[in-house]
Amino acid sequence: MNKELEHSFVSELEKNQNIIHKVCKIYTGDEDSHKDLFQEITIQLWKAYPKFRGDAKFTTWMYRVALNTAITLYRKSKRDVNTQDFESVVFKIKADDYDDTEEKQLKLMYDAIKQLSDIEKALVFLYLEDKDYTEISETLGITEVNARVKMNRIKTKLKTIVNP
Amino acid sequence: MAMDELDLLKKHWQQKEKDLPKLSYNEIYKMIWKRSSSIVKWIFYISIIEFVFWSVLSFLLKDMDYMQRFESYHAESIIWPMTAVGYVILFYFIYQFFMNYRKISVTNNATTLMKDILKTRKTVKQYVWFNILYMFISGFVVVFIQLTYDEEIKKIVDEATSKGNETMFYLVYFGVMAVMLALMACLILLLYRVVYGTLLRRLNRNYEEIKRMEV
Repeated sequence: MNKELEHSFVSELEKNQNIIHKVCKIYTGDEDSHKDLFQEITIQLWKAYPKFRGDAKFTTWMYRVALNTAITLYRKSKRDVNTQDFESVVFKIKADDYDDTEEKQLKLMYDAIKQLSDIEKALVFLYLEDKDYTEISETLGITEVNARVKMNRIKTKLKTIVNP
Repeated sequence: MAMDELDLLKKHWQQKEKDLPKLSYNEIYKMIWKRSSSIVKWIFYISIIEFVFWSVLSFLLKDMDYMQRFESYHAESIIWPMTAVGYVILFYFIYQFFMNYRKISVTNNATTLMKDILKTRKTVKQYVWFNILYMFISGFVVVFIQLTYDEEIKKIVDEATSKGNETMFYLVYFGVMAVMLALMACLILLLYRVVYGTLLRRLNRNYEEIKRMEV
C-alpha cells in the first residue's frame, strides 16, 4: 500500500465519483445514509483496489464493487426511510422544469423503484445508466438471458405498481 | 405505459447528473483513513464479547464441586472486594475502548487521528497487562485462602509438619501453582496476541500510512 497506489486510486475515484453517488441515490433516501453508503463503497473499493489489474475498465469495476457493496454489505436497517424523505431530499424536482403530470409520473416511478428488491434496484440502476445487456450481465455476474428476463419482469412489476 | 415512464425516468436520471454532490480529492482521501475507526470499533466490540464470555463462564462454573468447596471457606471478605475491584477496572477499560472508538470515528484531522491510534494501542496494551496481573494476584489469593481455610489441606500440612516435610510440601505446592499460573498466562497472552495483535498490526499499518501522507 504505497503512496502512489493511494494517489492513483483517489484521483480515479474523484474523477468517477458520480457512479457511487448514483448508486447511493438508488439505495438510500436521506443525506446521512447517502454519505454512509458512499464511504462504505469507497472503503470496499480501496480494499479491492490492489487486486484490480486493469483487465476491466476502472468504471466497470467500480459499478461492480459499488453495487455489490450496496446489495450485500450495506445493512437494510440503515436505509429504511419513509417515502417523503426520499422525494424531498434526493429528488428535488423543480416545478418549472416539468409540467405537473411529468413530475407526478417521476415521483411515482421513484417510489415504485423504492419497493423493488436490492438486486432489482441494481438492474434498474444499470438500465437508467444506459448500459446494454452485455454490460449489465457482466457487472452483476449473471447471464445475458437472465438479465433480459429479469429486466422484463421488473418492467412488468413497475407497471403494476405505478398503474394498479 | 410504464415503458414510457421508465424512459422518461432515464432522461431525468441523466439530466440530474450535474446535481450530484462533488467530493474533493482530500475528502475522498479521508475516507480511506476511516478504516482505523472500524478497527477500533472491533477492539471495543471484542472487549465486550470477552467480558460477556468470562462472566458466563464464571457463572456456569459456580456449580462445580471445586467452586462449591471454595464457597464453603466463607472467604467472602476477601473474594468480594477483589471481584468488585476487578469489575470496576474492566468497566473502565471498556469505557476507554468506547471513547477511543468515538474519538477516532469523528476525527477528520490526520495528526489527531495518529494521536488517537497511539492512545488506542496504549489502552489495549494496558488492558492485556492488567488481565495478566489480575490473574496472578487472584491466583495467589486463592492459594492463600486454601492454605488458611481448607480443612483437608490444613490436615495435610499438619501431617507434613509432623513428619518434618513441611518445606518439601510448600515447595511442591507452590511449584505446582506457579506452573499452572504460568501456563494460564501463556494461554491468555497467546489468545490476546491473536485477537488484539491482529487488530493492532492493522492499526499500525494505517498509522504508518497516515504518517507518510503527512510528511
